[in-house]
Amino acid sequence: MRILIVDDSKAMRMIVIRTLRQAGFADHDFAEAVDGVTALASIAAEQPDLVLCDWNMPEMNGIELLRTLRAGGNQVRFGFVTSESTPAMRNTADENGAMFLIAKPFTAETFSTALTGVLV
Amino acid sequence: MTDSASLLDQPLGDQPLAEPPITEEHVAEVAGAVWDSFLGLPLQLSPDSPEPAAGGMSGVVTISGAWRGAVVLQCPSEHAVAAAEAMFAAQPGSLSPAEVADALGELTNMVGGNLKNLLPEPTSLSIPSVSGGGDSQVFVPAARPVLEVPLCSGTALVRVTLWQS
Repeated sequence: MRILIVDDSKAMRMIVIRTLRQAGFADHDFAEAVDGVTALASIAAEQPDLVLCDWNMPEMNGIELLRTLRAGGNQVRFGFVTSESTPAMRNTADENGAMFLIAKPFTAETFSTALTGVLV
Repeated sequence: MTDSASLLDQPLGDQPLAEPPITEEHVAEVAGAVWDSFLGLPLQLSPDSPEPAAGGMSGVVTISGAWRGAVVLQCPSEHAVAAAEAMFAAQPGSLSPAEVADALGELTNMVGGNLKNLLPEPTSLSIPSVSGGGDSQVFVPAARPVLEVPLCSGTALVRVTLWQS
């Protein structure tokens, strides 16, 4: 499966990929995008199976990306990986079609729990 | 350098600020979890409060909405580089200044984002900004420091300051 990691921090993209490998998902293909605008183009071109997306980003943030995708009829599996995780944000993520919200900092176990059943 | 005692002792003006719903224990818990999870380094409350060394680096995120202010994270440049090397799993001395700034910005974002979770809603968090070199003094316009938390990771002082507008 192809997983797109969207985060404006290069360090965080590397940590997410490293943690996915530690969590047992090393066999998947990983791609990266630096913001929502770049991610939109990548999703259209590469059609990933899962998008793991930061919330707070320049240009187009994570929830704007998700809303744009859903408004365009794209139902790609989508989860947030973000340092902000208030109940209101979790509700907003859920209402817009996100499958989960992983709070930073996270562990390999966090990813394993969230993605088991998603990556099949 | 910023004098922590004098900053906190600044007069509050005509409109005293409400006590922020964040304590130094909150800051220590949040920042400690980030350092442990992503850097593999300890970070705990410092028993004393020395001034940050000149030439350090600073990360800032601002918070707007129902609570307005900023979270400032300061540390020695050497610690910022070590933290970045841990985050990138990079060889010592191999990272560019931009990569070190990226890592410090993300650390600031995680600390600020988790502290934001403790504040009244709704609020929004800015994209982090990072500065380095010089005297590393940070001021947030139209805001006052309401909580300064000295933390230590080994011998490195990491200071988190909460500013409120």
